[in-house]
Amino acid sequence: MIRVSNLVKSFAHPETGAEHRVLDGVSVEFARGQVAGIVGPSGSGKSTLLRCITGLERFQAGTIAVGDATLSGGPTPPPTDALVNLRRRVGMVFQQFHLFPHMTAQQNVMSGPVYALGKSRAEAEATARKLLDRVGLLDKAGARPAQLSGGQQQRVAIARALAVNPAAILFDEPTSALDPRMAAEVMRVVDDLADDEAFQATMVIVSHDVTALRRVIDTVVVLVAGKVAYSGPPDGAPAGYLE
Amino acid sequence: MNRRWSLAVLAAAVAPPAAAQGPAELRYGTDPTGGAPFIYKPPGSGGDDPYLGFEVELADYLAKKLGRTAVPVDGLWKSLPELLDKPRAGDKGIDIVLNGYEERDDLKDKYAATDPYYVYRLALIARADDPAKDWADFRGKQVGVLGESQAAVYAKRLFGEDHVSESDDVANVVGLVQQKRLAATVQDNPAAVHFVRNNPDLRVVGDGRRPGAYVAYARKDDPDLVRRLNDAIRDGFRDGTLPRIYRKYGLWNADQEGLAHRLTGEWPEPVDQEEVGADTARGDIWKLAGQLVHAAGMTVLLAVTSFPLAMAGGLLIGVGRVYGPRWLAALLAVYVEVVRGTPLLLQLYVIFYMLPKAVPWLALDPVYAGILGLALNYAAYEAENYRAGLLSIPRGQMEAALALGMTPATAIRRVVVPQAVRVVIPPVTNDFIALFKDTSVCSVILITELTRKYNELYNFNRDLVVELALLTAGLYLLMSYPLSVLARHLERRYGTAGGHR
Repeated sequence: MIRVSNLVKSFAHPETGAEHRVLDGVSVEFARGQVAGIVGPSGSGKSTLLRCITGLERFQAGTIAVGDATLSGGPTPPPTDALVNLRRRVGMVFQQFHLFPHMTAQQNVMSGPVYALGKSRAEAEATARKLLDRVGLLDKAGARPAQLSGGQQQRVAIARALAVNPAAILFDEPTSALDPRMAAEVMRVVDDLADDEAFQATMVIVSHDVTALRRVIDTVVVLVAGKVAYSGPPDGAPAGYLE
Repeated sequence: MNRRWSLAVLAAAVAPPAAAQGPAELRYGTDPTGGAPFIYKPPGSGGDDPYLGFEVELADYLAKKLGRTAVPVDGLWKSLPELLDKPRAGDKGIDIVLNGYEERDDLKDKYAATDPYYVYRLALIARADDPAKDWADFRGKQVGVLGESQAAVYAKRLFGEDHVSESDDVANVVGLVQQKRLAATVQDNPAAVHFVRNNPDLRVVGDGRRPGAYVAYARKDDPDLVRRLNDAIRDGFRDGTLPRIYRKYGLWNADQEGLAHRLTGEWPEPVDQEEVGADTARGDIWKLAGQLVHAAGMTVLLAVTSFPLAMAGGLLIGVGRVYGPRWLAALLAVYVEVVRGTPLLLQLYVIFYMLPKAVPWLALDPVYAGILGLALNYAAYEAENYRAGLLSIPRGQMEAALALGMTPATAIRRVVVPQAVRVVIPPVTNDFIALFKDTSVCSVILITELTRKYNELYNFNRDLVVELALLTAGLYLLMSYPLSVLARHLERRYGTAGGHR
């Protein structure tokens, strides 16, 4: 489960130097096995919140806890150990996929288990093939990212995120770089994960595609100007954010 | 095993180590590219043929008097005395410098000089058809000299700095006079005698000037060697050995009679010069080609050993600059700027000649010093290639690797560097080819690679200059072209397949 308490994240404006608070005291909690959506206008801090949870952004105050790994904000950079510890519990799927172009699809999926978790190649390969099968791309195991369509690349990226067996998996606009047909392919994989009783990881999805989102989430957080405007069941969300 | 083999093996087993044979040799520093009549090879001679020259015969004589064997050690003329700063043991260690070195106060401060073995005068050489009668007729014209010689000092005083052109190669200067691109050249009389004899279109103008003495230099802490060399020189004048050697090369004259009298207290027997003909032999281009190919082997050795080191060093420096802490990045930036901003020649000079003076155990053999120098120099250039490569990899790659739970070091090693290395294949190959040609700079630290061998051969084989030049250029091309092919193959194999969408 994920617990975010009083998270404050601010950027200095590149020209004026003025401080801009992107996240202004955000507190949210996502339970194990829960599928959560984060919605809100552009610039409300949705992606930044995900990037903080996975330890890619430093923050000024507050704490993030995923399972037993915690990270606190402050003026000094967090120790690498704490960051790595947190990241190993969180998988991330990016808008632009970010597959490793010098590796095949299968090697991409194996990279986390082998290079981050120190698993044997044989074990990682078995995991990778199972996951590639799950996202419907076992026949593309030997293909390089450049030989795959956008939708296929994003499905490999999901398999890669799942391969480290994370407690939570975060999706940052997973379909917005894709045309509708490919977006649907990717959402089918997300649906499938959400419906899988055996899959117990928390899923947090940032997306503008509210129709697709409504179909999978069981809770929603509405972020407006860096503050939580609503948190609860989708049906209770304020008007205009989920339709 | 047959009997001869068993004997050879037995002999090898009982032979004392090479170092123990050291004192049996008289190792003398000399620059064969300086040419006749000091030390040279007759046109067309092969790599293993012995050197000729009056100093070669002098060295053989001196060594024999000392109960040793003379071994020439070739180096650049200008830096021969610095070989005495290095230990005698090792690849290029020497006992004495013996190569037309004048008696000079600055050198006598640092090294021990023997008594003079030859008294020279400066001679002015011009074209035979030049109507000039004396030195004064060349005022206002351009005159060529050997750089850093007494001839250079004298000519600059007489004709003025602006009217004197310096070169490291005596034969080149003489060639420029023949082509009417220089009016005349000032040379020591031994060189003048040789060039005029072999080139009927040249003649000596006026009288010889500014007599000076050739001496040999040794280490100051070796007074016994200098004393025994002085005895040998005196004996050589007394028993007629030195006069005989000098006559053979057309170098015996009144100055030497005076020198003999000064050293021995006796006047030598009056004798005539021997009749010396011009060198007429023609070189065999195929025999010479073999020597060039052999020297090209050294070029390949230098390049293929130093470049992988440069790549590894450059990658570490590049990664340090992009991902390292600020103090390390700043330090590495200074390294790159200093190394890129100073000539390779100077760096090799520092590594080979100057470093051992400060740190004696860093007295590297020339080949090791050359490999080290090239590697350190090219590492700076490769570091910039890799830095550009690393910066070209989108930030998302690093983030995706970190998000999987890789440590930053693992992410750099497994994700960013493999991509950066592919991106920079073309510029890195470019540098490898450039390095092949830069190996020629290693001749300043006594390595005989392709370019130096070419210089040496064309000095002794002026009639084959064009053939030798084409062969040398062809060999360089032959070495670099396969690299271009390999690079294109690597690009096809790794470069595009790893491209971003």
